[in-house]
Amino acid sequence: MPVEAVRMEGIVKTFPGVVANAGIDFSLFFGEVHGLLGENGAGKTVLMSILYGLYQPDSGQIYVRGEQVRIKSPSVAIRLGIGMVHQHFMLVPRLTVLENMAVGWEPRRGPFLDRAAMKKLVEALVEEYGLSVDPEAKVEELSVGEQQRVEILKALYRGAQILILDEPTAVLTEQEVEALFKTVRALRDQGKAVVFITHKLHEAMAICDRVTVLRKGKRVGTVPISEATPEKLAEMMVGREVVFRVQPKPVSREGKELLRVEDLTVHDDRGLPAVQRVSFTLVDHEILGIAGVEGNGQKELVEALTGLRPPKAGRVFLAGKEATGLPARDLARLGLVHIPEDRQATGLVLPFSLAENLILGRHREDGFALGPWAQLRRRVFHYAEDAVRTFSIVAPSVRVPVQNLSGGNQQRVVLARELGRNPKVVVAHQPTRGLDVAGMEFVWEKLLELREKGCGVLLVSMDLDEILMLADRVAVMYRGGIVGIWPKEEADKRELGLAMLGGKVATG
Amino acid sequence: MSILSLDLFLSALRLATPIALVALGETFSELSGVINVGVEGTALAGALINAIVAYHSGSPFLAVLGALAVGAFLGLVHATWAVYLRADHVVSGVAVNLLVAGIALFSTRILWGWRGTSPAAATMNPWIFVAIAFLLVGLSQVYIFRTPWGLRLRVVGEHPHAADTAGINVNRARLLYTVLNGALCGLAGAFLFNNLGRFTDGMVGGRGFIGIAAMVVGNYRPLPALAAAYFFGLVDALQMRLQTYIPSQFSIILPYLLTVVVLAGFLGRANVPKALGKPYLKEGR
Repeated sequence: MPVEAVRMEGIVKTFPGVVANAGIDFSLFFGEVHGLLGENGAGKTVLMSILYGLYQPDSGQIYVRGEQVRIKSPSVAIRLGIGMVHQHFMLVPRLTVLENMAVGWEPRRGPFLDRAAMKKLVEALVEEYGLSVDPEAKVEELSVGEQQRVEILKALYRGAQILILDEPTAVLTEQEVEALFKTVRALRDQGKAVVFITHKLHEAMAICDRVTVLRKGKRVGTVPISEATPEKLAEMMVGREVVFRVQPKPVSREGKELLRVEDLTVHDDRGLPAVQRVSFTLVDHEILGIAGVEGNGQKELVEALTGLRPPKAGRVFLAGKEATGLPARDLARLGLVHIPEDRQATGLVLPFSLAENLILGRHREDGFALGPWAQLRRRVFHYAEDAVRTFSIVAPSVRVPVQNLSGGNQQRVVLARELGRNPKVVVAHQPTRGLDVAGMEFVWEKLLELREKGCGVLLVSMDLDEILMLADRVAVMYRGGIVGIWPKEEADKRELGLAMLGGKVATG
Repeated sequence: MSILSLDLFLSALRLATPIALVALGETFSELSGVINVGVEGTALAGALINAIVAYHSGSPFLAVLGALAVGAFLGLVHATWAVYLRADHVVSGVAVNLLVAGIALFSTRILWGWRGTSPAAATMNPWIFVAIAFLLVGLSQVYIFRTPWGLRLRVVGEHPHAADTAGINVNRARLLYTVLNGALCGLAGAFLFNNLGRFTDGMVGGRGFIGIAAMVVGNYRPLPALAAAYFFGLVDALQMRLQTYIPSQFSIILPYLLTVVVLAGFLGRANVPKALGKPYLKEGR
């Protein structure tokens, strides 16, 4: 009968605007390698950081060796025999292997460091687990794989019986991965409990005894590896069902062309073509979705359309008028607004107040300013208070810096500002990235509202489900080009997925 | 009289002592991750309090304790601003310098009715300070490189997160070493007073900043920093003797000019602690 090392029950952890762990149960036995599998942002690292005392859970219980514990800091975790090897190593490059391992738990002789004793302890560990590393070498002289070994040795030196490895293979070469697997098996055979965090299926299959799959902060299930297949795990990770939370209403379209892009070519920062001869049109009452794997030219396309990056060739027409290469301010005046991908970096000025952010780019308009020198503060605040009401922004006052707001409320500020200009065309780039469900729904409803009012929306998203739910037509970008545009009725998820990965497409 | 005499080297030893003490203090605080450019003002405050206590109590020993205390207090002020309130380290240090400069002028006026100077007061033999500086530097060299606390100190300044996961209280360590730095600067000020026998508001005269330079040249190690301090002291002593031959306005430039030149050569090569000047936040999300 295996002994339970760790049991976590109903772990909840929220960060502003994001539910990282929504009531997760997890159990770990001595003598097993337990895989923690899930996509980026599924909550794997947060769950294990809670076990290691780096974060405090909002609620939930933790038991170690059957006893309930409160892990207030990593030093408490270490005393409980829990060790963690982080993705970013906790090593000081300028110090030696020995010094890095010993710090905090130094063998002493009188008031001095006992280097001989340190060396003996380390060499014993090196021997026991076959982790060869020179204890006198400086960490900066070691390869990444060797540094990882030092981290594992450090945890063992501190008496770890429960070892958490956070995406340990991400930084390793093929050979190093093999060596790591050998080490992990040796640790398991010694009776240690190992948590192996990964998002790679084949690794989980290769090294784990049991796998727990997380998705969007929830536990999907735990399966012994003997009952798991890659297909089954993939399905658990990604999920098959698509929940349509909002429903586009039928609209009567006039067929008026709002945006036309002809043979647009855009270069990236290195001067290489990122967008190549892209053409499409957008009409009234329409959402055109642009799907694709990140890094296939979406960013450059959006920047060229919104005046942030000059196109190399091709033309853009806005409501019939040529608008190629116009700066953002002129485009906004012509009715094209932008909901940027990264609200914190480009969407908002974080230390500025909510009211100031709401008039960014409009600050010299008549309603807000009197000539170039005077800002009409009362009108600005008045306008901001209106916007807070109509967009249900939760904030103590319009004078607080937006960095104090949650992610969802920050995005509402961006939406309020951009949609407040009564646009004809909206370019929305990943508008729901990093939001919780309520925040997402709000954005979706706003986009559909725009469509019902007659606007054209260009929705660029990595989330295919989101596009299928909202868009009237779906375009797929691959390596800088549009490989096809499907009307919603004909869009098939599998066919689109294949197109996104560069598979053959029957021309539609 | 030849310029290179035993007298010259003895004079260099004395002139180097405040530089060495500041360099040692700054080595501790910067290894822990705290920049303190307030050392100049902190030394001045040490000299001032030393003068005041010596004048009123007549006890040179009590006066030195006063200098240590005010140094430690200013270190505490700087640490509170820089470590706990996360102010910019340089700005906070400059504030200390300005504050003390103002207070020095003001208090000499109030206390003695003189502009920036004190009357002569009880002193002790300055060679005691020279000996203490040597002793402290030797002990510190051993402390930093041979004891567990020294190892922890080095980790705190290089990788505070790693220190934290090793159970070390990062901010408390930074506070303690910054207070220590202040006390050592106070001691440097005490030396300056006891060397001259009275206080003048220009008596630190950039030796605090030169102390930081000596620390950089010493590459964050006490013994080499001591050697650098004695080099600067020697130049200073030499410059005083050169005044017989060249106009003093020129010769007095020498130590400062040399500081600039030497720093230009060493600054890029120093092993600056990775987390120097950066506040440490626990939940890094």
